[in-house]
Amino acid sequence: MRSTRVTLPRDWTLGLFGRIPARMRTPLGIICLTAAALLFPLVNGSDADIDSAANALAFAALALGLNIVVGFAGLLDLGYAAFFAIGAYAYGVASSWQVQPEWSSFWEPFRWLDLVARYHQAGGDVVHFQVSFWLMLPIAAAIAAFFGVLFGAPTLRLKGDYLAIVTLGFGEIVPIVARNTPSITNGAMGLNGVAAPQLFGYDFGVNATPYYYVGVALVAFLILTSQRLKDSRIGRAWMAIREDEIAAATMGVDRVRFKLLAFAIGAAFAGATGTFYVAKLQTATPEMFMFPVSVMVLVMIVFGGIGSVWGVVVGALLLQILQSWFLEDLSEWLHAFGRLVHIDWLQRVQLASSIELIFGLILVLMMLYRREGLIPATRRVSGLSLEEQTAEIGRGGFDGLTAMAAWDRADSGPLLEISGLTVRFGGLVALRSVELSIPARAVVAVIGPNGSGKSTLFNAVTGLVPADGAEIRFAGHDIARLRPHEVLERGIARTFQNIRLFPNLTVVENIMIGMHARLAAGPVGALLRLPANRREEAAARERALEILSLFGNRLLPRADHLAGSLSYANRRRAEIARALASQPRLLLLDEPTAGMNPAETRELADQIQSLNRHGLTILLIEHKLDVVAMLANTVIVLDHGEKIAEGPPEVVRRAEEVIRAYLGRSAALASV
Amino acid sequence: MPVFRTVYRRPRESGGPGQTVAGSATLDSRLRGSESATGSALLEFRAVDTYYGDLHVLKSVDYRIAAGEIVCLLGGNASGKSTTMKAIMGSVVPRRGDIIYEGHSLGGVSTAERVRRGIAPVLEARRLFPRMTVWENLEMGAYTRRRGPEFDEDLARVFVLFPRVEERLHQLAGTLSGGEQQMVAIGRALMARPKLLCMDEPSMGLSPAYVEQVFDIIRTINRQGVTIFMVEQNANMALQVADRAYVLQTGQVVLSGAAAELRETELIRHAYLGELKLA
Amino acid sequence: MMSDYGVLLQQVVNGLSLGAMYALLALGFTLVYGIIELINFAHFNVFMISSFVGMWALELLGISGQSRVLTGLALAGALVFAFAVTMLAAGVLGVAIERLSLRPLRGVPGTAAMITTIGVSYILFNIILLTVGAGSENYPNPLPVVRWQFGEVMLELKQLLIWGVALALMVALHVFVSRTRLGKAMRATAQDAEAARMMGVDVDRVIVTAFFLGSALAGAAALIFGLYYNYTSFIIGYTAGLRAFTAAVLGGIGSIPGAMVGGLLIGLIETLGGQLIAVRWTDVIIFSILVLVLVFVPTGLFGRATPTKS
Repeated sequence: MRSTRVTLPRDWTLGLFGRIPARMRTPLGIICLTAAALLFPLVNGSDADIDSAANALAFAALALGLNIVVGFAGLLDLGYAAFFAIGAYAYGVASSWQVQPEWSSFWEPFRWLDLVARYHQAGGDVVHFQVSFWLMLPIAAAIAAFFGVLFGAPTLRLKGDYLAIVTLGFGEIVPIVARNTPSITNGAMGLNGVAAPQLFGYDFGVNATPYYYVGVALVAFLILTSQRLKDSRIGRAWMAIREDEIAAATMGVDRVRFKLLAFAIGAAFAGATGTFYVAKLQTATPEMFMFPVSVMVLVMIVFGGIGSVWGVVVGALLLQILQSWFLEDLSEWLHAFGRLVHIDWLQRVQLASSIELIFGLILVLMMLYRREGLIPATRRVSGLSLEEQTAEIGRGGFDGLTAMAAWDRADSGPLLEISGLTVRFGGLVALRSVELSIPARAVVAVIGPNGSGKSTLFNAVTGLVPADGAEIRFAGHDIARLRPHEVLERGIARTFQNIRLFPNLTVVENIMIGMHARLAAGPVGALLRLPANRREEAAARERALEILSLFGNRLLPRADHLAGSLSYANRRRAEIARALASQPRLLLLDEPTAGMNPAETRELADQIQSLNRHGLTILLIEHKLDVVAMLANTVIVLDHGEKIAEGPPEVVRRAEEVIRAYLGRSAALASV
Repeated sequence: MPVFRTVYRRPRESGGPGQTVAGSATLDSRLRGSESATGSALLEFRAVDTYYGDLHVLKSVDYRIAAGEIVCLLGGNASGKSTTMKAIMGSVVPRRGDIIYEGHSLGGVSTAERVRRGIAPVLEARRLFPRMTVWENLEMGAYTRRRGPEFDEDLARVFVLFPRVEERLHQLAGTLSGGEQQMVAIGRALMARPKLLCMDEPSMGLSPAYVEQVFDIIRTINRQGVTIFMVEQNANMALQVADRAYVLQTGQVVLSGAAAELRETELIRHAYLGELKLA
Repeated sequence: MMSDYGVLLQQVVNGLSLGAMYALLALGFTLVYGIIELINFAHFNVFMISSFVGMWALELLGISGQSRVLTGLALAGALVFAFAVTMLAAGVLGVAIERLSLRPLRGVPGTAAMITTIGVSYILFNIILLTVGAGSENYPNPLPVVRWQFGEVMLELKQLLIWGVALALMVALHVFVSRTRLGKAMRATAQDAEAARMMGVDVDRVIVTAFFLGSALAGAAALIFGLYYNYTSFIIGYTAGLRAFTAAVLGGIGSIPGAMVGGLLIGLIETLGGQLIAVRWTDVIIFSILVLVLVFVPTGLFGRATPTKS
């Protein structure tokens, strides 16, 4: 019997690939890629092709930069080309004959450093800027970063689409200013005579090959930087901001600092790329930096995969190849076909000029059908074994809480004191002159009917809501006017009534963001990955896993799953774990057992109790009053924003005012 | 011996008792016996389950509201009261079970159609259209109807019930006080000439004087032939006005019966305060 | 020789004419935003394409260039025909965009829908660029050139036309949203979509209506543009669009009176700015206004504070 199965050549290569151990795949892949990149100009001798490749690399670099702002930090920047322009004109002015101020002694030290030269002219001596390309790369990046902060600062409080419009505005203003200040930029005619880079005496000239290699090096460096930032405390902070700004702030992320950092680093990428691009072209015109360029880079990252480092590189390269090679070839084929079938229009079509139309189509189609892009940023996860899927309800709470910080051991006065807390939303008074004192190591429950102000109380303590003239003292220090991330730093962590995890990050990443304020790595450390940083990261991840393991096998097997994929109860647990990761002294739990069945409720109640026994002070909003009875030393009852009762659970439960608050006043109605 | 049903209640077969913690058969049948066995059911929930993502909100819930009754739905926070209202109006679709209105299932019936068939909502926190006048809000209530003599009749009825509404007819709804807004909200619902009025927390945020007025009006409207299904936090007031009541706790009906009887027992308080006995 | 005062006054008149056109364009944009809070970039290229549709409609009537002038009934008929065709085509295009590219994204949080409108805008822009080309098209204009002199200021017939059409359309819109059933449903949906649904409003139909009306207004503005400037080209969506967009923001996105007032203001700023500073800086001035308003007064002149999306 003849076998009807056909073995395709593909099987053979797949088999080869499968035989490489997984550990080796990534480094091997990178080596192959590097080799291909380095050998390319030798294989393909055409200068035009190499030049196209160099352009493609420039856009890959831009895509990487925009990816940081849009993909990592979630800030939609529609004016990214402005930074490209700034870097370009910075090098252009610093290395061409465009700007020639009069000579004076001020310029002497610069001449000594060989940054400028003195030229004799009929009207007097002038300065000629001749800053080296290599020096200008980081300088232009720095200048662009400065403008990144400048343009980003006004947008900090705006929501997504307004932010986009403001950045669009800046993105448009820059090239128009460039066009209208011909003294510096030579306006629409373009900056000419930009000096080509020189390396050890070798002048790059107009040959595309040296630029190509510089481009490869630039992109490689930027890929490394992006990847390192992404897998660091910085990247996590950015992604937390992207996912849920408010939750990020309450977990210790300084939103202002990190948003500006994203703008700055993203702009720096574009600034350096601007310098590279202009050096290659040896000219710069405002048209090179207008809105269509910003859109093009946006299309590249959407196409490649927002948030994915390799994805945006692939997206940029593919679209550039499409534009410069494929469309040309396709046009040729269409011309030939047109000649064949005698259709005049086909013979004249120029697909390359319709590249923008194609970009528009790609953008729309990707948004409709594949928003995550070609190479999605989130990874696939492995399935769970049956054992990992079932969890037994444990009792008795946590053991092994040694990972926690040193908590309050001694009863040393009240931990949290609130007085005169009034919160108004427009005309509505959500909290009225609330007073509260929580001793260390206590469990205090806050109860009350809907709308009584319980969550507002939490929001006021954690700095999410302004507290008019109130005094809020934590361990003796006034925290009333601190911003949310500062409150977390002091030692107050919280969960939210409607669970605010970061859904597109893994469970472990969520927990590690809880640690944000307790880690020290900055952008430089993240980039260099010094031994101290690596130790810190490893220790952080280990601690995160330890915290997850407190919840038995409910969370630990799902450590690398996306937080959004967890069940409701597990998401509650993960949120509590994230709060614990910040080593708080006071934990604010907002309806932690909501949505849990009685057994799960009891389990969590035990766990909360064991946390308290180890020294954690707990303030708890809870509706299930037997949970309250079990856990709380003191119960505070709020109604319509006022505290109407305070005392031990048993007493409060039977108090007249409390019952009336819940069940409503029975007014003197005429009976039916 | 007053007892209460636990959350582990099995879906009730008609007539059978639910599980309880300690013997409560006596009270059970007493409470259930007062349910309307006579009178056709205007609205029924049959084993309705709703979910919010993977969170199980309403758990196999049964209601039965006969024409002409005032039935109130009580319960503490997060018990599923608002979800019930949303399910009736069609904003929330049950995953299991059925909602029957006038003998026909509401499955697949749009919100607009439900309003046309005679179900009108009085929304939580009023939710008038703030920058439309009182008159325009009333008009919106009658959106699914044609203008004509019936419309004018209903308008007149609203003016009789709420003289203040007529006074403020051309004022922007957002500028009215809470109590006045509630009057307009009820009037707006009445403009749909409903057979079933679904009220979501009508007393919330109102001063005691207005609360009394609202409940007075509820009685009056009911006497005029409108069936009322009312979600309320203020159990005491609600029970003084209602014929029957259901009590929800974390998505399950834990108590049901004649308002008069429920008024007397401590069971309501237990249910409200979310008391939970675990094995 | 005109005095400085006369020049300024002339620019005020010109500015108000331009402003009326921007107001119409801004109105269409703000109508959609008011209902679904979407910044629809495509709106401005619907405007651009509509101007070409208007051009072709007029050419259909045998009018090309400015040489063929009509008067009286023939003029009225030609204009009515042109406006009807242009507005209808624009409305249909707007609805098509909504159905095909925006409706599937309803409910997706964040800026996905706005990004899609950028893509659609690009597609429209490039379709014209590739088919008609980058040049300016001479606009067929049946209007006789009639001028009146009031002191130092000159008023043209076409300016009266703009004001007339703009006023008529704004009045019509006002009547629609305040007197008709569907119009009130639109206002209700803009104020509280969920409550509107509970009243039995078909929110989907309201959205489609908003897109149709908004785009039709853009169509009217487009025909006005062509008749006023006697040209059209592929780039006018960008140039006029920027101004109309800023006008909507300045007046308060989502507010109908805001769009009207904002449009007039931007028209004045454009002409007076061009006169007092320099024409080549007007783009920067307008972008700066856009940025400043969004950063410091995001609700604009008439808008209400939009809640931050959490």
